[in-house]
Amino acid sequence: MINHHPSDETILSYAAGAMSAASRLFVSSHLSVCESCRERVRTAEVVGGVLLNDIECTPVSADAFDQLMARIDSNAVETSAVNGVGTSSSKVASADMVGLPEPLQLLLDGGFDELKWKTVAPGVKQYPLPVDVLPGEKVRLLKLSPGFVTPEHSHHGHEMTMVLKGSFSDETGRYKAGDVQEMDGSVHHQPIADTEEDCICLVVTDAPLQFKGVINKLLQPFIGF
Amino acid sequence: MVTCEQLTLKVERDLGLDPRKLSAHLVSVGECSDRSAFKALFDHFAPRLKSFYIRSGSSEPFAEELVQETFMSIWRKAGLYDPAKAAASTWIFTIARNLRIDRLRKEGRFVQKEEFFFEQAMVEEGDQEAYVDQGVIGEAVEVALTQLPSNQAEVIKLSFYEHATHAEIASRLQLPLGTVKSRLRLAFGRLRTLLADLEQ
Ligand SMILES: [Zn+2]
Repeated sequence: MINHHPSDETILSYAAGAMSAASRLFVSSHLSVCESCRERVRTAEVVGGVLLNDIECTPVSADAFDQLMARIDSNAVETSAVNGVGTSSSKVASADMVGLPEPLQLLLDGGFDELKWKTVAPGVKQYPLPVDVLPGEKVRLLKLSPGFVTPEHSHHGHEMTMVLKGSFSDETGRYKAGDVQEMDGSVHHQPIADTEEDCICLVVTDAPLQFKGVINKLLQPFIGF
Repeated sequence: MVTCEQLTLKVERDLGLDPRKLSAHLVSVGECSDRSAFKALFDHFAPRLKSFYIRSGSSEPFAEELVQETFMSIWRKAGLYDPAKAAASTWIFTIARNLRIDRLRKEGRFVQKEEFFFEQAMVEEGDQEAYVDQGVIGEAVEVALTQLPSNQAEVIKLSFYEHATHAEIASRLQLPLGTVKSRLRLAFGRLRTLLADLEQ
């Protein structure tokens, strides 16, 4: 049961196609496990349809339709091949990937155990995802060891976190697989991996986090949060 | 031969066809590759799609090419279209949006199968809800959009027409990020309340 979902403004911008590739990956990973948010996206897409209908008209060239039909007729064979995309996926999900959001499975070479995790601080490992990012943006998997307490920090930009495995808790609640936390601006929080297993999250940030306290500030360059 | 100047002058509002008729045309294309229905869809949507791509930052010739590609997709995928789940304009919007992401955003897509994945999901679900005519929903949303406060309508249009991110809208309008988000949130909240009322 998913209790925490992306915000309305995030759903709307996803439906509009007005998001970075990293944020799209994030939202579509949540959508792949959340029917109620897919429904929210469909609602927002109605807005797109209405706006498409309402836009001004720019005439196309006079022979545009004839050109189109000529292309379609010469492409007739290709049609069925294109329809087959996706069913011919050569990738076989490893046991560890079962239950992972499908958009993420397509990006990863193996299950969580097979990834080359890098330690960024005691109790925290990260795996950057191969997605083109905007300046200042990061998209990665973070793995918190059981009981690991993240140094208290605040956000200058926007951070979106989705739990993939295990769970974490902070001042705002408990987050389990599929749950999403969006954090903005001046919020201070201190997430704790709160079960016996690792907590693995998909995280997209668009500005560096600021840590509270001198020691944490020393840690920051390392953690590279 | 039409000159560029004439083209600009000819840009005009065209109320176009009834949404139900557009949906019926799309169904005919899917079920029997109906070329005259396809032509009717083209006549209605091609000039709109061309504006849509131009507003996304595409040059005029490239916008024209993208319109062609959009209709090739429509022809191929029309069999997946279900009029009970989406108006023709909504369905075509999603195709155009995905094509725009694919072809116009410099950072590109994270994975090419995303679109296919969600098409499947769209086909398989959505049956359990109370049936509301998609034409009625579209009309209600259209009315609701005209009734939004202009500052909310503005951020909606920047999102859908110019695919501006929250940060881009904030810098464009010289507003705090939080204001942009709350305007989008209010606008969407209002639309959803309205649609929830329709479903009762
Ligand atoms: Zn959700």
